[in-house]
Amino acid sequence: MISQDKIDEWIREVQERPASAELIIRYIANRLSELSSRADELAADNIELLSGRKVEEYENRIASLEYQLELLKRQFGGEVILPSEVPALKPMVETINLLVYNPLGQVLRLEIDPTSLVSGETLAVLNAQAPPGDTPINLLVTGSREELLFIFDSGRTVAMPVSQVPLSNKVDLDWTQAFIQEPQVKEELAAIQPIAKMTLYETCLQASRRGFVKKMKTSFLASHITENYIGSGVKVRADKTWGITFANKDDAYSLVSQEGYIFSMQVERLPVAIDEVIRLGITDHIVSAFIVGQKPSILFITQNGKAVHRDASWLEAATSFKTKGQALLSRERREGGTRIVGAAPVDDEAWGVFLHGDGAITSYQLRELISSGSIPSGKSSGVVLSFWCFTRPEATPKPNRDRSDQRS
Amino acid sequence: MGVNVGIDFGTSNSGVAIYQGEQIQILPIDTKNIVPEVVKTILYITRDYRTFIGQEAVELYYKQNINRQRHFVKKWTGEIDYHGADMHYVRDVYVYIDELQPGRLMQFIKTALRSEKYTGTQVFDRFYSLSDIISTYLEALKQRAEALIKDEISHVTLGRPVKFSQNPELDQKAQDTLQQAALEAGFKRVEFELEPIAAALYYERSLSKPQNVLIFDFGGGTLDLTIMRLGDPHDRRVYASGGIGIAGSDFDRAIIQNRMLSHFGKGQVQHDPEILNLINTIPDWAALPELSTPLARGALQRAIQAREAPVRLKALESLIFNDLAFSFYNMVETTKITLSTQGAAIAEMKEKDLDIWELYTRLQFEKDILEQRQQIEKVLLDTLSASGLEPAQIDAVVKTGGSSNIPVFIEMLARIFGSEKVKSSDVFNSVTAGLAIRAYQSA
Repeated sequence: MISQDKIDEWIREVQERPASAELIIRYIANRLSELSSRADELAADNIELLSGRKVEEYENRIASLEYQLELLKRQFGGEVILPSEVPALKPMVETINLLVYNPLGQVLRLEIDPTSLVSGETLAVLNAQAPPGDTPINLLVTGSREELLFIFDSGRTVAMPVSQVPLSNKVDLDWTQAFIQEPQVKEELAAIQPIAKMTLYETCLQASRRGFVKKMKTSFLASHITENYIGSGVKVRADKTWGITFANKDDAYSLVSQEGYIFSMQVERLPVAIDEVIRLGITDHIVSAFIVGQKPSILFITQNGKAVHRDASWLEAATSFKTKGQALLSRERREGGTRIVGAAPVDDEAWGVFLHGDGAITSYQLRELISSGSIPSGKSSGVVLSFWCFTRPEATPKPNRDRSDQRS
Repeated sequence: MGVNVGIDFGTSNSGVAIYQGEQIQILPIDTKNIVPEVVKTILYITRDYRTFIGQEAVELYYKQNINRQRHFVKKWTGEIDYHGADMHYVRDVYVYIDELQPGRLMQFIKTALRSEKYTGTQVFDRFYSLSDIISTYLEALKQRAEALIKDEISHVTLGRPVKFSQNPELDQKAQDTLQQAALEAGFKRVEFELEPIAAALYYERSLSKPQNVLIFDFGGGTLDLTIMRLGDPHDRRVYASGGIGIAGSDFDRAIIQNRMLSHFGKGQVQHDPEILNLINTIPDWAALPELSTPLARGALQRAIQAREAPVRLKALESLIFNDLAFSFYNMVETTKITLSTQGAAIAEMKEKDLDIWELYTRLQFEKDILEQRQQIEKVLLDTLSASGLEPAQIDAVVKTGGSSNIPVFIEMLARIFGSEKVKSSDVFNSVTAGLAIRAYQSA
């Protein structure tokens, strides 16, 4: 800051040593010139801010940066994407990519045009029996520019762009034609997780099937991914790796078990070392993990196709670890054999894909299911094996901090 | 049998020279430096305990540290036993450690010899005593010198200030530490010579007849004064010696104290002791890097959000958390050096969230160091008085060391002794050269 005292001192210097005058004038003139051009820039910025053009420019820049981030993530995973394949700033039409995968590392991919999506439509039929292994067949819906992280139950990981998974036959899906991300000896594929936007989150939460959780910084996860190993997240022998979820420290993290128990806690309070956060019954295991974010409600899907809907405020935050969890199902229904196959936070725009017992993969706008209370009968067999919730992508990528896509 | 060398282990710069009876050879010890015969007394130890000195250390530090990521973890470091009249309990002590810190940079190592309290520092998992730090630096210096002369160096004559401390015990302790460090660095025999005497030996080579000379050795850490009779190697006499622990680094601190703190919120932040403490720590080069803790960041961010001098505190945050301390002190030192040749200089630094522009005149500088100037003049007159000589009996004043170029001190010497008597020796190398002569004589 230039105060009057300082100016007086400069004048005294000139009075005592007139030779310094020229130098001092030159320094001040240079600074004035620099400040003057900076003032012009700031005034121009101010005009743009007042006119709203700056906001639009920042929105575009955020979208562009987010897209570049995705590209970097792909390169981070060791993949080289040619600029011609994904032009930098040109808006792309996003397609829906449906992935069906199993513990053997077999992955089937379907590309669906989001504009042609019709609620209640059968997207494909899986012509095969469930593969061996105790993990059910999983579904994943993601954008066409995502980076996928294949997580094996040994803790090993492989990263690749979704576009590198070959497309499957649209009508009949067959495991014999599946792309294989081959597990190593005694290894199973535990989950596939989209990671392109992970740097937008502070934390990654790794859960095991038996309700153990560990928390790590996403910056650490990034360096672990380059080493192709993120850890199994398993502490006890009878447990297995389940999957990861990205979150910020103020988010509430929820785990849902097959028998309908829910654990919810603020991310900041979750353990850094692997710890049992929910104590599950001997036959129970985790089927869903999510962050509610701004979504108003949560939808639970049972194996017989029922849609159980609860407001987000219904979730009770746990005060300690190793709790039994909040019960969704009554004792009678639980003992009657009702089981949860998946759960996710939803809003009016949410869609769901369902894998049925007869192999049919159907999609529904979830608000229809919420109002009817169940998947309409007659389309396919009553048994639901797997469920995934997603939001239809838009043409231009926009930052979205809500986790609308949830594994279940 | 190895070679004898003279080493000037200075506060800011060091040097190595050899003399074998004919010509003094100042070794180009730091080829990356603008003046290769001078190596900065800077040590950088990386996380894997590789060591770098001089310009190489500076470059690596910049490469690895500026704007790097940080990740702090809370580590248990020990426990404190509390004993009261009717109670006893143990409290754990934790510190925040930056897990991603790639290395530690150490400057002004020699200054630590003057400190009563400084015993050493933790560098990652190892504790380096002061002797370890100095020996690490001297060892690197020795290796460079040996590579240049392609011979083993076994004996060294090290320079030392006239007084490390006014306290004779501390003074002896400082020399013992320096000796221990030199032995640990691999020198088989270590001798000492007072730095101003070394400078005098170098000057003596230019004399054709005996003179009474005042050696005004004014470097980065201390001012050393020696009044002696030179010119006849068989009749050298020291009339008096004196000194004071004021030098270049103290002037830098004065500039920061008087001119820089306002750029970081001083005068604008009033009732926030946590923030005021951060601001007041800026002049302390050793403490500033230690401020980069999550607690300090939290305090700064809270104050910024509360609109408490947000621009200045953002600059402070940038200084602390972007590892800009070294650049900042360098900038201040450069401004000071510029003022030795011109009447005004710009202290300027532009980094993320940091924009310092300070027009600084020689007059302002002289005002800022007024107290130190008075102390220095007093010591000079006391030493002269102790020598029993009058100013007119001094034939020459030989100034050496970087700070001896500061005009106000040249004027002081000219005023007391007459401008025709003030002579400039090789500012950076005269002590090194003199130490090489002494090393040759003692061989």
